[in-house]
Amino acid sequence: MKKQEKPLTFRGKYLLLTVLLFYGLLFLLDRQSALLALQKSGAVLIKIIPIFIVVILFTSILNYFIKPKQIARHLGHESGIKGWLWALAAGVISHGPMYAWYSLIEDLRGHGMKDEFIVVFFASRAIKIPLLPFMIDYFGLTFTVVLSFYMLLGALIQGMCMQIIQSKKPG
Amino acid sequence: MDYVYFVYMINSAAKDNTRNRTSPKPSFQKVLRKSSLSFLAMTPLLLATIGLVGMFQVLVSPEMLASLFRGHPLFDTFTGTLSGAAAAGNPMVSYIIGGELLNQGISLYAVCAFLLSWVTLGFIQLPAEIEVFGGRFTLYRNILAFIFAMITAMLTTITLQVLS
Repeated sequence: MKKQEKPLTFRGKYLLLTVLLFYGLLFLLDRQSALLALQKSGAVLIKIIPIFIVVILFTSILNYFIKPKQIARHLGHESGIKGWLWALAAGVISHGPMYAWYSLIEDLRGHGMKDEFIVVFFASRAIKIPLLPFMIDYFGLTFTVVLSFYMLLGALIQGMCMQIIQSKKPG
Repeated sequence: MDYVYFVYMINSAAKDNTRNRTSPKPSFQKVLRKSSLSFLAMTPLLLATIGLVGMFQVLVSPEMLASLFRGHPLFDTFTGTLSGAAAAGNPMVSYIIGGELLNQGISLYAVCAFLLSWVTLGFIQLPAEIEVFGGRFTLYRNILAFIFAMITAMLTTITLQVLS
């Protein structure tokens, strides 16, 4: 028998409705600002569409080549030190806003990725490789190196704190 | 190194697949369709967040953010973390605002905390984060990010003072 596909359920409908209401209100109070805000949102959307495509492709490639059991081995409870390093590296090389990655991380979490690795991934995203030259230009090389070092260290410690919190979780 | 590791993961995955093949593997097209649909299901959430980002960029100016600082390192570090978390947009903008804040005499503690929380925290994306990861995880992750933005800012500034 053919397996039935789950119906598509949209998420965040009420949030979108609330934001649209805010826009409506802003449109009534200050039409120009509302239009400008819409323009800015449109610009953000256009800018991150390529990232969305990368996320969809990356999720598909992972799901096609790697079984949930293998994801659990690399990013789950049995992953060990390489899981931490993998989460750290993935966070550093990931590009674009945090919310663009929610879908992929949710998928990996469903396949066994540990919450502490999600924390490490999001925390290490503070380092933006393409923007490092700008940071050096604005704040200097020493500042950039010192800050990056503490950010990476902080990301790992945050993950460890999450691990402790999770181990104390009731049930 | 990351790419080498990725190739290793793909290879070991392929080996495992040949070892324990229990059910027929779905085609890549099917997997792509499934991933696209699960991403599509998230579009209202993402559109709402992007809408909030646009609104914030228009309604909150860099001058408004700069006016929040008072000149006290500890208080300013806290304010820097809060305002960075409340702000939205490209991190590049945070560098420009951070540079301006430094020029206006705001402490490095505050600017550093501001830069960090801009990328690791986000009040605007909280509803989306709660929807995807759950309230408990979101709460703990954001509290940790908030505390560590302040600690990292302090450590960075102190280290720079020692080095200079």
